[in-house]
Amino acid sequence: MAGLSPSERRLQKELMSLMKEPPPGMEVDSDKAEQNLNLWTIHMKGAEGTLYDGEEFQLQFKFGPKYPFDSPEVTFVGNNIPVHPHVYSNGHICLSILTDDWSPALSVQSVCLSIVSMLSSCKEK
Amino acid sequence: MKVKVKSWTGVATWRWVANDDTCGICRIAFEGCCSDCKLPGDDCPLVWGQCSHCFHIHCIMKWLNSQQVHHQCPMCRQEWKFKE
Repeated sequence: MAGLSPSERRLQKELMSLMKEPPPGMEVDSDKAEQNLNLWTIHMKGAEGTLYDGEEFQLQFKFGPKYPFDSPEVTFVGNNIPVHPHVYSNGHICLSILTDDWSPALSVQSVCLSIVSMLSSCKEK
Repeated sequence: MKVKVKSWTGVATWRWVANDDTCGICRIAFEGCCSDCKLPGDDCPLVWGQCSHCFHIHCIMKWLNSQQVHHQCPMCRQEWKFKE
């Protein structure tokens, strides 16, 4: 891992573990992430039995040089932005762990799980 | 058969006694050093909080220094206080 910055070393580890053991319904575009470690796209399926069952979404993660001390910028991108009270139509996500409640112990995986769970708890679009 | 020991070389290993294998901030093994250091051991020690969570000292200091108001443990969000 020579030549990688501290943030890139952590991202490299996270990428490996997401590729090896992806959480259910999630897939990281690993070719894209390997080309640019600071910009990832994750394909995410709406959880079964929820309002988003059968839908597919794309999440974009942008990492700054201070990651994981600064939170990543996470937005929905592509042509299917989930209809949800905490997701704006431009893809912006209103979620406290992405701003004030960020912690460096959180990860791409835990952020994805929080977003799926945020969607899943929605009972009415 | 008699064996005569002419010389011997002692070998020792060490490890941190932590309740986890990897640092929750840099994700590098506690047996290794944080991503800013070259060698594990005394130059890159671990520290514990009163909440019992443990990190490389350089990692937790970077986090605490980046926080202006609240100093919280990254794992449990309790107020971070160094364990004596």
